[in-house]
Amino acid sequence: MSVAAPLAAPLVAVVGNPNAGKSSLFNALTGARQKIGNYPGVTVERHSGRGRFADGRVIDFIDLPGTYSLTPSSPDEAVTHDVLMGRQAGERRPDAMIVVVDAGNLPHHLRFVLELLTLGLPVVVALNMVDMAERDGLILDVDRLAKALGVPVVATVAVRRRGLEALLESLDSILMAGHQQTAISISHEQRAVAADQLARQATISETSTRGWTRAIDSVLLHPFWGILILLGILFVMFQAVFTLAQAPIDIIADEVMALSDWVKSALLPGFWRDLVTDGAIAGVGAVIAFLPQILILFFFILLLEASGYMARAAFLMDGLMARVGLSGRGFIPLLSSFACAVPGIMATRAIADPKDRLTTILIAPLMTCSARLPVYAIIISAFIPARSVGPGVGLQGLVLFCLYLAGIAAALLAALALRRTVTRGVGASLLMELPRYQWPRLDDLMLGLWQRAWVFLRRAGTIIFATTIILWLLLSFPRVPAGSSANPLEYSVGGHIASGIEVVVRPIGFNHDIAIALLPAMAAREVAVSALATAYAIEGSDDDATANALQHRLSARWSLATALAFLAWFVFAPQCISTIAVTRRETNGWKWPAFMVGYLFALAYGAAGATYWVAVAFGLG
Amino acid sequence: MHSTAPLTLDRLGLGRPARIIAVDWAALVPAEARRLREFGLNVGVEVEALHRGSLFSRDPLAVRVGRMRVMLRAAHAAAFMLEPPA
Repeated sequence: MSVAAPLAAPLVAVVGNPNAGKSSLFNALTGARQKIGNYPGVTVERHSGRGRFADGRVIDFIDLPGTYSLTPSSPDEAVTHDVLMGRQAGERRPDAMIVVVDAGNLPHHLRFVLELLTLGLPVVVALNMVDMAERDGLILDVDRLAKALGVPVVATVAVRRRGLEALLESLDSILMAGHQQTAISISHEQRAVAADQLARQATISETSTRGWTRAIDSVLLHPFWGILILLGILFVMFQAVFTLAQAPIDIIADEVMALSDWVKSALLPGFWRDLVTDGAIAGVGAVIAFLPQILILFFFILLLEASGYMARAAFLMDGLMARVGLSGRGFIPLLSSFACAVPGIMATRAIADPKDRLTTILIAPLMTCSARLPVYAIIISAFIPARSVGPGVGLQGLVLFCLYLAGIAAALLAALALRRTVTRGVGASLLMELPRYQWPRLDDLMLGLWQRAWVFLRRAGTIIFATTIILWLLLSFPRVPAGSSANPLEYSVGGHIASGIEVVVRPIGFNHDIAIALLPAMAAREVAVSALATAYAIEGSDDDATANALQHRLSARWSLATALAFLAWFVFAPQCISTIAVTRRETNGWKWPAFMVGYLFALAYGAAGATYWVAVAFGLG
Repeated sequence: MHSTAPLTLDRLGLGRPARIIAVDWAALVPAEARRLREFGLNVGVEVEALHRGSLFSRDPLAVRVGRMRVMLRAAHAAAFMLEPPA
């Protein structure tokens, strides 16, 4: 017996060329009701969300990766093709498409529309960014275009949420009408001619204006000033990470302490109370305290992406990257890797050449990801004085900037070495669109920021929580027998494991505390901080386990040479488990992740050792 | 055939639009050739070089194709033969 299922909501795919404003339209249609998942078997993110018609009926939207045609050049473009053909595992064939078209770029974008019309799915065209087209001197006739194409066309400005009601009305009517007349498939050349004709018909008037984009580009793509501005933007970004985040970090640290005190007053002393306060709250709290810095970094990356600047950065960096055998294309994945290597490595799918792509994957972990930020932050604030070295330039921010530069320099050198050995091959290429500049919508930025914050918090709630608890148990048992004066930390299982690691890392200036922190840092780098916090919470008699207290402990116990060696170690390693997993998935095997881990650990060991001995030679030991 | 080497896109001066008269598609990897066609680079199309390189090298090249701006390396641009600008 089957129960009559409620009628499933229609599934509508949002399709379009890159830079057509597709994701903004998807955000506008679905609001915050979005889910990010993965297509089975491939690492392409699946963005889906719910929208509603005016009368409240539900529509399911999926945002498909932007592509120029139905002939895919990369794995994410293949997903677009397969979903629209109804061949993608884990996805039913959409009932209709919203094809997003940049009104200012009709001849190009209409070619893809003509190709999509051959699929036989009901289509409504969203003629997006009409405001920008008008600003560029282009006036279009929407009705004439609709008549010529034979499908509804609605003028929209997704970032200003304009034209959405009309778009939904048209969507409703094409869904009612059902099947679409299938256009005949023609060659690419014929489509180009037809698209040009259609664009001409739809254009009422076209005045050639030089436009903002051109004016801005003459500065931002300037051979000299452009590079200087790019460096300036990156510098401001990293200064902001340090200065703006301090107030919220203090608030979070206070809240964590208040929570810890509250638990202490609520529970009886003993195993469970210690587990919760010294294990869970001290460990996870120390990591959560760095959420503000991670959010600021992500905010800048999202802002640069949404404004159209990221492609300019790729242009400016291409010359430099070509020298080490990469392309400017690789700059975007590498810049994303400053937030996290996992999305960075996934973003390398846009690089067409396999050797270029593999090299970019292998050096992505050298970019300082946000998970290393807590480690840098705690060491810098413990050992580097917070004084000013110039107007608006703090010494702490400067050191952080240098650490980022060290990662970049190491990555470039590694790429050069790799391209001459293991990934030797033909030179990389760079074929990319330079989108128009656009004022990003704050809502879209905030939505992206929230989605990333959520991923971070989920990690804190799962991986970091679990490793913190395990570490606490390892470091707490067996207990020191009553009457013994042994250090409880040294006496524990974890203390013994750390003593084993210590033998290996002693020559590079690492002490017992670091040996304890290194092992769990493999699970996630930021755990190094919570591991230190947990270790000191167990050892210490007072129960103050916040970030500030940790800094005092560190500066009292570590020499500056050790601290600098620890920073140098983290420029290269350790690899986190998620990065290894995503590398395995993207390279289809264990060979490359194993190679990556090996070479990074060797570099980390060498760099930390060199730093330590140089520092000792300068009398900082 | 011209007796002198024809003007190619990699050698086009900045800010002087010119029309593509021939394309040596065989000199390009098929996937790259397809992407360039998708960018609208084809015979009869007017192109304009906007920016060339940075501090580090003369690559890449930013080109206007219609109302779209794309970037490519000189090695690819060399496949596009142009009618010299007026």
